[in-house]
Amino acid sequence: MPPVFDTPAIDYHAFAPEIAMVVTLVVLLFVDLVFEERGRWATATVAGIGLLASVVPVLSLAVDGADRSLFGGAYVVDNFALVLKALFLVAGYVTVLISTDYIADGDYYEGEYYFMLVSSLLGMTVMASARDLISIFVALEMLSIPAYLLAGWRKRDLRGNEASLKYYLLGVFASAVMLYGMSLVFGVSGSTLLVDINQAISRGVDSVPLVTVGIVFIVVGFAFKVSAVPFHTWAPDTYQGAPTPITAFLSVASKAAGFAALVQIVFIGFLGREDVWAPMFWVLAALTMTVGNLIALRQTNLVRLLAYSSVAQAGFMLAPFAVAADIPADRGGVGAATGAVVTYLLIYAGMNLGAFAVVMAVARKTRSAEISAYGGLFAYAPGLAVLMGVFVFSLAGIPPLAGWYAKFVVFKTLLDAGTVAAVTLAVVAVVNSVIALFYYASVARQMIMEPAPEAETARVRVPGSLGAALGICAVATLAFGAFPGLIAQLGDLALLGVLP
Amino acid sequence: MLVNQFLLLGAVLFCIGVYGVLARRNGVLVLMSIELILNAVNINLVALGSVQGPEAAVAGQVFALFVVTIAAAEVGVGLAIVLLIYRNRSTVDLDEVDLMKG
Amino acid sequence: MAEFLRAYLTVAVFAGAAGLLVALLSTLGWAVRPSRPSRQKSIAYESGVDPAGTDFGQSQVRYYIFALLFVLFDVEAVYIFPWALRLEGYGVFGLVEMGVFIVILALGLVYAWRKGVLRWV
Repeated sequence: MPPVFDTPAIDYHAFAPEIAMVVTLVVLLFVDLVFEERGRWATATVAGIGLLASVVPVLSLAVDGADRSLFGGAYVVDNFALVLKALFLVAGYVTVLISTDYIADGDYYEGEYYFMLVSSLLGMTVMASARDLISIFVALEMLSIPAYLLAGWRKRDLRGNEASLKYYLLGVFASAVMLYGMSLVFGVSGSTLLVDINQAISRGVDSVPLVTVGIVFIVVGFAFKVSAVPFHTWAPDTYQGAPTPITAFLSVASKAAGFAALVQIVFIGFLGREDVWAPMFWVLAALTMTVGNLIALRQTNLVRLLAYSSVAQAGFMLAPFAVAADIPADRGGVGAATGAVVTYLLIYAGMNLGAFAVVMAVARKTRSAEISAYGGLFAYAPGLAVLMGVFVFSLAGIPPLAGWYAKFVVFKTLLDAGTVAAVTLAVVAVVNSVIALFYYASVARQMIMEPAPEAETARVRVPGSLGAALGICAVATLAFGAFPGLIAQLGDLALLGVLP
Repeated sequence: MLVNQFLLLGAVLFCIGVYGVLARRNGVLVLMSIELILNAVNINLVALGSVQGPEAAVAGQVFALFVVTIAAAEVGVGLAIVLLIYRNRSTVDLDEVDLMKG
Repeated sequence: MAEFLRAYLTVAVFAGAAGLLVALLSTLGWAVRPSRPSRQKSIAYESGVDPAGTDFGQSQVRYYIFALLFVLFDVEAVYIFPWALRLEGYGVFGLVEMGVFIVILALGLVYAWRKGVLRWV
């Protein structure tokens, strides 16, 4: 006689953002199938409205404020999840805005493009709530598989093919390695819930080698996803070969999803085994910052430069992980590290999306992403040049732009931890901030000091949706920099609801 | 029950798969190697789950089912990408896909 | 360990017996049967049809899409079997949830059909 099945009480309010996105997906599919060519223009609109509609339940859940836990704790809606969901949805909306003209002008599949984009975002919003190995794995694949296809959306372009293949092979390999680690951790703890795993492994009596190998494999798997050195080799090629809006999307939303998963797995599941992961994160963070910056110095293509700069930025986001366990409780403990990572992600999303939006606006005229093509931009398109300056100097961390606050929060966690390792990492980070200033400033120098190539100084026409995207990113970058209190509140809010 | 044998089988399959991914140059064979790793994971999940009591056994088997279905979706996409590359350049040799160098 | 090895001794005895039996029977067959080889007898058996071409025939690449669709929908069925075993226990809730799952799967099939990939050209 099998056990009696109790119908689980499902809190549909907690699920509402995801349900809204699934409805958007179905509508997109129908628009594409029923209207075919006549409905192509509508798909971008449907995707944009759907994403904005999905923000509404996120806000209503935030106003409600209660932590909700579904499916025996496998799916948790707390402030951490809500802040990240809002980040994913807004970043997705900006991606739709910058895609609209790019995709409509080229010879691309349109309906499928937005379908894939929204399903990838659906995976990310699920990831923000996943507190269970199975849901983390399913969310990770749901956000990755459409992204593999989007990276190769320029079907006849050989670079596009190569971008897709490299991203796919390394992504699938990474998730296979990560799964092997998950199977070992599951085998020791006998549960897929992160909270139970934490109890089992922090007892730490038996099967220590298995847990260690499991943790190492899982961290390595996610290091691929967030393109941490030495697992970053796919990133520059994929970023260069993919359509530019997708490059922006991958470097912001996909990376943020990887960090969301890392925060949950490491700070909920593996707390108490920092002897294994803290040194790993220290090495990853230091290597990622340094190697990313040094290679970025040599780039002549702006998209590749931004690709390596985003690798280097990931190093700053990895730094709080390395010291999380050493932060004293009166300075916020692990919560402070979580807040630092989330704050950095929010600010990084605004400025990086903005930089890519300017690249796209300029490429509409110059048809090139080489840095040399930016000569004289300040003379003939001062608005775009100033915006580009704002975004790159924010990435470099110059006050009063938002980027400085992101870096400040990371330094604060490092110094709060106060151990020798943490202070050394802080020194490495300072040196890297200075190196980064060189290549960010060289972009500005090119725009202001150099003459335009071939004296081509016609005006740059910026389409409405691209302009809106630029506006959103610029407002975010300036406002968060001028009023860091805003973002600090969001960062403080973003604490994990269920800490072990 | 002797769980070591299953763990050993899983580890051997995992190593063969990793070796295949790193050493093989044919796109389709790399996909097959990745399948081997995923099967190693499934063996681990079911075997380790069953020694941890009935509830863990069910959890492990459910996890394995998810791995199986998602692996199918992954391979579907992977074959599509490999086929696209074959159409554009008449080869599935990964060493020849190197327009951009890291 | 000895206990474990003894368990495997049974397997070895079984394997030995099986091998011996096969060898014995095929030797016996070889000894008593008449031997008249011919070309007809040595061609591959293709359910009575004469085989055409070499053994390394290539199938059409078009077949790939059908194979892929089959594999995907076939694999999704793995969720339906455990559900069907306990359908009565799950009641209306289970029926509705699986209904949603199947409708979304069916949408995928509708997509494939409308895009014309189900037609064999």
